[in-house]
Amino acid sequence: MKKNLVLLLLSLTLLFSFSFAQEQASGGTDLNPNAISSETERLGSMLQLSDIPNDGGGGIEINWTLNDSLSNYFITIIRREGNIKKIVASDLLASSGQVRDVNSDENKSNVKDGTEYFYTAVLSEYAVSQEILDYLVCDSLDMEAMTIADANQVYLISDESGPVKSKASWFNLERLTVLISAIIITFLFLLYLQLARKGKELYIRKISGLDAVEEAVGRSTEMGKPIMYILGIGYVTDIPTIAGLTILGRVSKKVAEYETKILVPSYDPVVMTTAQEVVKEAFTEAGRPDLYNKNDIMYITQDQFGYAAGVDGMMLREKPGAVFLQGLFFAESLILAETGHSIGAIQIAGTTETAQLPFFVAACDYTLIGEEMMAASVYLQKDPLMLSSIAAEDVMKVIIIIILLIGLILGILGPGMHIEFFDKLFNLLIEIL
Amino acid sequence: MAISTSIWIWISALLTLAIYSFLYKDNPFYKFAEYLLVGISIGYGISVYWHNTIITKVYNPLVHDKDFLVIIPLLLGLLMFSRFFKNYSHLSRIPIAFIVGAGTGLSIPSSFEFLFKQVQGTMPTAFTIGNLIIIIGVITTLIYFFFSMEHKGFIGKVSRVGITFIMIAFGAAFGYTIMARISLFIGRIQFLLSDWLGIIK
Amino acid sequence: MKFVNFINNIDKRWIYLLVALVVIIPFVFPVGCPMRITPPVQSMYNYIEDSIPENGVLLVGIDYDPSTMAELHPMAKALTYHAFYNNLRVLFVTMYPQGSGMGQDIIDKTLTQWNSANPENQKELGRDITLLAYVPGVSAVMLKMGENIPATFNEDAYGNKLENLPVMDGIKTYNNLNYMVELAGSSVVLSWLMYANGRYKMKMGIGTTAVSAAEYYSYLQSGQSNGLLGGLKGAAEYEKLITENHGYAGRKDASVGMDAQSSAHIFFILLIVLGNIVFFIKKYKEGK
Repeated sequence: MKKNLVLLLLSLTLLFSFSFAQEQASGGTDLNPNAISSETERLGSMLQLSDIPNDGGGGIEINWTLNDSLSNYFITIIRREGNIKKIVASDLLASSGQVRDVNSDENKSNVKDGTEYFYTAVLSEYAVSQEILDYLVCDSLDMEAMTIADANQVYLISDESGPVKSKASWFNLERLTVLISAIIITFLFLLYLQLARKGKELYIRKISGLDAVEEAVGRSTEMGKPIMYILGIGYVTDIPTIAGLTILGRVSKKVAEYETKILVPSYDPVVMTTAQEVVKEAFTEAGRPDLYNKNDIMYITQDQFGYAAGVDGMMLREKPGAVFLQGLFFAESLILAETGHSIGAIQIAGTTETAQLPFFVAACDYTLIGEEMMAASVYLQKDPLMLSSIAAEDVMKVIIIIILLIGLILGILGPGMHIEFFDKLFNLLIEIL
Repeated sequence: MAISTSIWIWISALLTLAIYSFLYKDNPFYKFAEYLLVGISIGYGISVYWHNTIITKVYNPLVHDKDFLVIIPLLLGLLMFSRFFKNYSHLSRIPIAFIVGAGTGLSIPSSFEFLFKQVQGTMPTAFTIGNLIIIIGVITTLIYFFFSMEHKGFIGKVSRVGITFIMIAFGAAFGYTIMARISLFIGRIQFLLSDWLGIIK
Repeated sequence: MKFVNFINNIDKRWIYLLVALVVIIPFVFPVGCPMRITPPVQSMYNYIEDSIPENGVLLVGIDYDPSTMAELHPMAKALTYHAFYNNLRVLFVTMYPQGSGMGQDIIDKTLTQWNSANPENQKELGRDITLLAYVPGVSAVMLKMGENIPATFNEDAYGNKLENLPVMDGIKTYNNLNYMVELAGSSVVLSWLMYANGRYKMKMGIGTTAVSAAEYYSYLQSGQSNGLLGGLKGAAEYEKLITENHGYAGRKDASVGMDAQSSAHIFFILLIVLGNIVFFIKKYKEGK
């Protein structure tokens, strides 16, 4: 009897110390087991599932909304397919509100089209441990459970949502406007091309800077000074450089007619060779192949500021009466244009680089602004392919202006004067765009 | 603060002064600093490409992951070198065709979307003077860039308004550029006075 | 006329010298010109301050090199500090090889300064901030980030595998990032706007050099970006905001330059006015 009493006492002590130790342990960590459950008693079926619209299949979009107090929590998403469970994503910030379960490079058949999937969310205050992750996907986990816990924290489990199936879309309807615009511009281009080939003359207006070419070459000849043509630091694949070469043809023809000299310092060897051909052809066309000197079109260097310094030096020595800056220019633009200005040359510039245009406008007598430069080269060449692209572009500009005007009117009537019907129309227009 | 004792700060300070010496006159110090810059940036670029492209995108997948699909783009890339041989230089067009094709395909839809976003942004949601100026500016500028119509009469007047807007934009850009250049200079002066000489805090 | 000729023929080197003096003198004798916060800077600040939850992620595009560092470096610093004050995670990304060096410089400097000034809230590389490795391909990289950020970069610029870094917890695509500020002086901004913002609906702000600021205003107005820091002035305004609201006490790279900036602007305005007067006098005399 006495022995039994001792045993009882002993076991009671043991029990007591054990529970005390447990209390200590739980008090020792900075865990607050009620942190989650006090804020939301039940998550319910918080996940909204949908097939990702306008994709190539193999993707499910999972959305959720939580109140702000939970936005710093982590969310883990589990997928169930029959009896197979998988962690889709772990430790996402709950505030991100969305995750997509999709195929990746590593796993190309992660989500199979047509298969029924179910999703469950697990919310926790701190990052999930590997043991819990393993437990979440094991077969014995009861998906009906609302919470589980480990030594660190309590995890809150949502109801299972689903089923959802992924499917592939044939068209991305979000981009319908893009498709229609692409079709319109292609159609316009082909239409004008057809017209041009059939012999209809497509009108292109005179570019005012081009009239100045003759004046500049003439004045330079009168003063007995050469002409300098700078193609900038583009390569032969750059469109402004190509436009610059076309304009060079026109300028050198004038040069040959006036029997003066043209200097073309080049940045790129390929551009230099092309420029030599262009000038030679223009001189021949003007009937003065004898005046052509290959050495006047020379290579400088392929270093940006080295090129600028080289051209500057040449300008100061040769003192050209007219300087053409046509092509692609970057930071060297002002250095060149300023030197040209200081020697009193007539300067005609043209580039598509918007950042450099202000410098040219400030330092040159005429400037071809952006697209004007391309149009100038088309004006000189009159190639049907290029003429029709200019015409198609103009029609596109008209379409944009019309859309803008409609937007303006609807904007004034709708959001401006609060007429509901126009407000709806305005929003529809914004939606379409 | 006192004058710097770090050798690297001294090197960068002296190189900065070497570059600025060009403002007085072209000289060997300037040339040295300029060539050094060109050389270093190419060298640095190559080392970064070597590690981040050749090693991580070609060598690692091939040798460690046994992903032999990498060979296809690798071969295409190598074809670019055919440019050095006159008889085979046409082969370099194959990879260029891939780049141009994929690049255009990727960029055209995005460019359209980008354009629509801009058009959408131009639409006025409230009737204010600012919004009106924006919309007039956009339309007149577009009309200035009409090439298949003569700039006479009404169109001529509108396009004159357009070019005025363009010039105002250039003026603003020019002003900002001066500001930027001064900022760059300030950055260097700050470095020289504070990090190097320790005159200011 | 003598004066007109003198101005016309003045040696440019005198002007260079005057510019240098006009910039250096305010550094030594600061005046403290007043500064007003412009709405685009305020709206970027407000977004980071109010709309990103604690432990949220700020992506910063470091797409510049030493040539535009003077303007963009102070922005990167100020943004990083702002993120630290709000306990956000910061990810740097770059599309330029030289951007790596810039990003690492910012991380080194901000971490040292922050940790010595705030011993109670230490920040750590890999846990609170890191720089993603440079991967060439610009638009391809941006597009791939929309599918899988860890697989795009594999590691950070220090050679650590991204999956081992706590700073990357829960980050898979743009959806898991809260905000991006792109710092660049080139057209790479457009690619970010097209792909990250256009295609993946990433909320974006832009920090750019003053040269490009005028151009990027149109993206502000179209809502593609919700904030804009333009040049050194933009950076100085941001520094002022974090100083006023969070008591930032470190070195203010941009703000100290503002006096010099103002004095240089006044000098240039005088030069422009003088130049125009001389031009018209000359034209008038020649016309006679």
